[in-house]
Amino acid sequence: MSSFKRDKKEEEEGGCFSFQNLDKTIVLQESRYFNETPVNPRKCTQILTKILFLLNQGETFSTQEATEAFFAITKLFQSNDVILRRMVYLCIKELSKLAQDVIIVTSSLTKDMTGKEDLYRAAAIRALCSVTDSTMIQAIERYMKQAIVDRNPAVSSAALVSSLHLSSTSPDLVKRWTSEAQEALNSEKSLVSYHALGILVNIRRTDKLSTMKLVTRLTKSSIKSPYTLCLLIRLAAQLVEDDASETSQAYIEFIDGCLRHKSEMVIYEAAHAIVNLRKTTRDLAPAVSVLQLFCGSSKATLRLAGARTLAKLTTKHPAAVSACTIDLENLISDPNRSVATLAVTTLLATGAESSIDR
Amino acid sequence: MVHTNLEGSLFEPTLYIVKGMCILDNEGNRILAKYYDKDILPTPKEQKAFEKNLFNKTHRANAEIIMLDGLTCVYKSNVDLFFYVMGSSHENELLLQSVLNSLYESVSILLRRNVEKRVLMDNLDSVMLAFDEICDGGVILDSDPGSIVGRAALRGEDVPLGEQTVVQVLQSAREQLKWSLLK
Repeated sequence: MSSFKRDKKEEEEGGCFSFQNLDKTIVLQESRYFNETPVNPRKCTQILTKILFLLNQGETFSTQEATEAFFAITKLFQSNDVILRRMVYLCIKELSKLAQDVIIVTSSLTKDMTGKEDLYRAAAIRALCSVTDSTMIQAIERYMKQAIVDRNPAVSSAALVSSLHLSSTSPDLVKRWTSEAQEALNSEKSLVSYHALGILVNIRRTDKLSTMKLVTRLTKSSIKSPYTLCLLIRLAAQLVEDDASETSQAYIEFIDGCLRHKSEMVIYEAAHAIVNLRKTTRDLAPAVSVLQLFCGSSKATLRLAGARTLAKLTTKHPAAVSACTIDLENLISDPNRSVATLAVTTLLATGAESSIDR
Repeated sequence: MVHTNLEGSLFEPTLYIVKGMCILDNEGNRILAKYYDKDILPTPKEQKAFEKNLFNKTHRANAEIIMLDGLTCVYKSNVDLFFYVMGSSHENELLLQSVLNSLYESVSILLRRNVEKRVLMDNLDSVMLAFDEICDGGVILDSDPGSIVGRAALRGEDVPLGEQTVVQVLQSAREQLKWSLLK
């Protein structure tokens, strides 16, 4: 053990500098070590890291180079070292765009996806969907449906997000997974329901009536996740925009209610939606005062969000923004240049003589 | 260049929120970068030019956020590392900020609070895994640093003994035994 540890230390000490001048051909030659049995997880992990680093630096791999590396990497499925396996998935995802015959790993990944090790399953699903083309989806459909409703949130999220990516190439097939996604929507885990809502909305893009039903139901339930709420506010705002009838009043009330949420992200999302709705005859004051508060925040991101949204509002409702003139004037000398520029342009647009004098 | 498009518009209801994430060193060189939208900065050359520009505009002013080339970029730096998260200019800035916070906090835990280039390069594999756990093709996959790190750092024996849980100690003991048998 001790000698092994020393080896590793030596390798890592050189690590920082060896990354600086990595040579593609040398790294690709090193991938020959992948054929050794038993697999040395640390050495192989380090070689995989180098390959990923080169790809990330924008180094170009020819189809042949990528394919050779890809096939060498498939040998590493023999090892059960967790970190090595996860790096293998990462490499599969990166190389799947460049190499040929990548479907060779389908069975290995399907095995990991349905296996016992939770740490493999979520990542294996995502890698599998990156090598699967539209003709192959049917073969994994059953597993995907199971994974979507899995109790492990990481597995469920991985399956939902992968389905979303797949729906750009095979929309009809992914549509068949609607009932599973519906079930995932009720998950206690906030990100699972966020991902489920995202895919349901995508499936029902063209079906306005069912989107309305979905949004109406959700606005009445108590959603805690800020991400899901942000998405829901966007959907509700879109429905208000498309619909002139009385029913949209409920959506407006829902968005208004979100102004009192405890998360700044949600408050801002609601305020932004309210001031950007095309047909507002109602009271803008609560939303504007939220944005006004943001302008005085110590966080630059909040100041920018506030100033930018107010800037947009000037063209539509200059009167509503004029209440914030003083706050915007304070931002003219803001250390963040984006914020300062926005404040100046907004003040010029509102064009109050008094403020120009000052 | 600040985009002063004064026309109001609603945010788009989509899960594709993140346009890119990157970590640069104190000379503006890329350590890790991912771009998730094929239409934005499609080639490495354009990406690196953008990163240089971004770095030049941000490395001295610690101002958290900048509008650059039609992208909203939130950022944070420490010692010799710069972390950036990019989104469309029609995006909720605070959502992007929350992704940046997850990225920074996860990396910080992985590097045991030594957020500097040398330590990061020694743990590049874990940081790559964390990148992958935070964002999948532009979709926020996880935002909880605890669970992100839980899935990115799995080498029990790298953690000082005092900080290990019973499970980790057992796991590393098992691994050490395995290694001694293999020799």
